[in-house]
Amino acid sequence: MNAQPASKILVLDNSPTHAGLIKTFCDQNNLFALKVRKDAIKSVLRTNIDLGGILYSDSYGETPEETAQIAIDIHAARPELPIIIRREQHPTLAGLPESTERVFCAAYSCGDMSALRQAVDQYIFCLVYPNALLRGIAEISTEVLRNVFKGVEASYDTPYVVHDRMIFGEVFSLIQLESSWCRGYMMLQTEEEPFLRLAGPGNGPTSTSNNFRRVNDSLSEITNMIWGGFKNRYIGDRSANMVSGVQVPLIVNHKHHYISFGTSNPQLCFRFNLEDERSGREAPLYARFIFNLNWSPEDFQEITPDHGGLVESGALELF
Amino acid sequence: MAKILVVDDSSTVRDEVSTFLKGSGLDVVTAVDGKDGLAKLRADPGIKLVVADVNMPNMDGLTMVEKIRSELKNSAVNLIMLTTESSANMKERGKAAGVKGWIVKPFKGPAVLETFKKLVS
Repeated sequence: MNAQPASKILVLDNSPTHAGLIKTFCDQNNLFALKVRKDAIKSVLRTNIDLGGILYSDSYGETPEETAQIAIDIHAARPELPIIIRREQHPTLAGLPESTERVFCAAYSCGDMSALRQAVDQYIFCLVYPNALLRGIAEISTEVLRNVFKGVEASYDTPYVVHDRMIFGEVFSLIQLESSWCRGYMMLQTEEEPFLRLAGPGNGPTSTSNNFRRVNDSLSEITNMIWGGFKNRYIGDRSANMVSGVQVPLIVNHKHHYISFGTSNPQLCFRFNLEDERSGREAPLYARFIFNLNWSPEDFQEITPDHGGLVESGALELF
Repeated sequence: MAKILVVDDSSTVRDEVSTFLKGSGLDVVTAVDGKDGLAKLRADPGIKLVVADVNMPNMDGLTMVEKIRSELKNSAVNLIMLTTESSANMKERGKAAGVKGWIVKPFKGPAVLETFKKLVS
């Protein structure tokens, strides 16, 4: 597993001269670059793919006015997305029209890609996620999924970060994570139809209902078990001394099918793919970790079995 | 016949555990949370073993087992926790309340079946 999280970005830069350099930079820095036609930008932003940011160019439009207007429109549509502009002359934001200065978070020029690297670290990968945490979440989750869905293979992609403030989807489960080093939520997200087909009789957890309630039951139990694994491995008894009661409102919008945690901090995301080789059925499952209330990775600690007195799951520990 | 009471707010866990135990020849009743568990135990003296989750709405599993000993004055029934929790503090609290064993989910029936049978016999 690549333990460094990745991020998906839009590259709105038509320069053939710099295309190769930008692509190499993206490949070397865990950025999945998507090129989008100018006339498709709005629809791409509307489709709400998980984005971490945008690489823009000061010559993207046919005219300076068009370049400015496109950036302003993107910022209006997705204000949480950091937009980094490539400038031909000055690798700074100085000298940009006043109307666009607030739209961009940083600037770079292809003569000094270290400035872009700095901006990516500062604005896209701005929260540090320890490698042990990324590996552990993947291990805990796949073990849970394989236990819950007998005979179903659970695989996962490279974890990634997104900046989308609104999280669109069909079915969500939420559970709080609270410790001395992190506070926020773990969210699982899936699509009802494929999940329901996969969680059919004999595959998923036993459930008396055969409709969307089965998805609720299964997702709820999977959430509970991953949450338990997370707590046992990364929190232990350290939550007992947690005294902060700070909360922020969450927004659930049924009309537009999204939930928002009110933060533009990057969320740590995992995409799991469940595949039943016998039937060929597949279902995606997304896990998101949104530490919107506290994130102190310097206090992160993995609890080893010796420290936590852990026993193998499923085994009976008699007192 | 001696019975096992399975207390879990998750219908998937209740179904999974009770289906396995029934299939192994054991008699099972279920409850959806700690309050329901207390009511079922109070009403049925045939229950010899309680298998309970910890994190449940209305009344959590550890509060339930404490009440089994203190309020129901039932010191005979065997108590096992089946939970995602494994913190030392939780286990200590369970031990103090008379919990006999602790299983970290997922439930693996064959691994615990013989012990369950001994506890209800």
